[in-house]
Amino acid sequence: MPKRLKLSELIGEIDDAIQDRFAGETFWITAEITDVKKQPDKRWCFLKFIEKEGSLITAEIKGVFWSNAYDNVVRFEKLSGRPFASGLEITCNVRVRFHKRFGIDLEVLEIDHTYALGKLEQEKQQTLDRLVNENPTLIRLVDGQYFTSNKSLEVPIVLQRIALVTAPDSDGQRDFKQEMANNPYGYVFSVIEFLTQIQGDNSSNLIIQKLKQIEAKKENFDVVAIVRGGGSQTDFKPFDDYELSKYVASFPLPIFTGIGHDRNTSIVDLMARQHKTPTKVASSIVEHNFNFESEIIELKDRLLETTERMIDKAKDNLLQMKRTVKAYSPSTILNKGYAIITSNDQIIIDPKDIKLNSEIKTILKNEVIHSTVTKKSKHELDL
Amino acid sequence: MNLTYNQAYNELSKLVDQIEDDKIQLDTLAEKVKQAKELIDYCETRLRSIDKDVEAALSDKKTTTRKKSK
Repeated sequence: MPKRLKLSELIGEIDDAIQDRFAGETFWITAEITDVKKQPDKRWCFLKFIEKEGSLITAEIKGVFWSNAYDNVVRFEKLSGRPFASGLEITCNVRVRFHKRFGIDLEVLEIDHTYALGKLEQEKQQTLDRLVNENPTLIRLVDGQYFTSNKSLEVPIVLQRIALVTAPDSDGQRDFKQEMANNPYGYVFSVIEFLTQIQGDNSSNLIIQKLKQIEAKKENFDVVAIVRGGGSQTDFKPFDDYELSKYVASFPLPIFTGIGHDRNTSIVDLMARQHKTPTKVASSIVEHNFNFESEIIELKDRLLETTERMIDKAKDNLLQMKRTVKAYSPSTILNKGYAIITSNDQIIIDPKDIKLNSEIKTILKNEVIHSTVTKKSKHELDL
Repeated sequence: MNLTYNQAYNELSKLVDQIEDDKIQLDTLAEKVKQAKELIDYCETRLRSIDKDVEAALSDKKTTTRKKSK
């Protein structure tokens, strides 16, 4: 009968062999991750590393981040704007561990962030290239700028009827509505909400469905706002989706995005008008209307100025005429010591009309003098 | 008045241009100023109150919500 070992003895030998080979050594590996289970409260993260040939998995091993390395996961999400989740390819430094009960796994000590981000950037660039190549009438790349049909839509002179696409009870929803409601000019808006989940695998499809509902009633809206709160939410992936990006590029109403990420710009942002945060989307709408009102106020000022000027001018003309009329009026003349002479109640202009011995009246300031003409002669006064 | 903001704005700029024209007669001025004033009031009021179209869209939404809740 061959010698029998206790399980613990055999496992002990495996442990020794692994210790001999791997103790104190670390390795850099590049692999796809899957089955990622984060436990943020404990700062642990369990996962599997896999390698594939086509769709066939040819190598697989468990992996773990303990609390001392968990910051790598947090930092990855912060830098990339993506959840640390299955499907990513990462490069990381690992140590081989063996546990008598749980077996062999790789403890991750550090992630190469540059590699991981580069990989994501590469994927994003592929999507962008595909958008441009497959939709030449919708999307054009000129001097590093993306021009889309949506971005070239004229924005109505006033934006008042807003279709809001956001997650229910989210920071983004609250920030946006608050900024609109508290605008300093007292403008009134109609904000109709199209609420949907905007994080997670199927989100891009859900957003497309909401946009389709808006498109069906497009004449009821001036603009679409797609907003997402910041906070701990880091999932940018739905906004890099090909189908959603393409639909946004072709959408018949102007779209303002406030997807709320400082470092990253999503593809949807590039296809529409990007305003970074929900609050900024709201304030840009308010300012847009304020610009319109400013133009109205400017026209109003011009109007007032012109009418005032015209009325003043008319008043001046009238005053001038009054002065002229007054200057030539008989009372002004009589006050100056001139007299009016009448004969048979006719004003005498030509002295030839006055006959000797006729009765004339000399009208002065306050009195009329009745006289009989006794003599007429020429004068040589210089008048 | 049932104008778009664009129509109101264009109409208003046209009136102000006409009013600024020196050849305008005083008796037509009053009428034009009155029209301009109405357009200004229209824009400023509409910016601060919900328009009929918007109300229609809102009530539309209310009915659909009600249907759903049944």
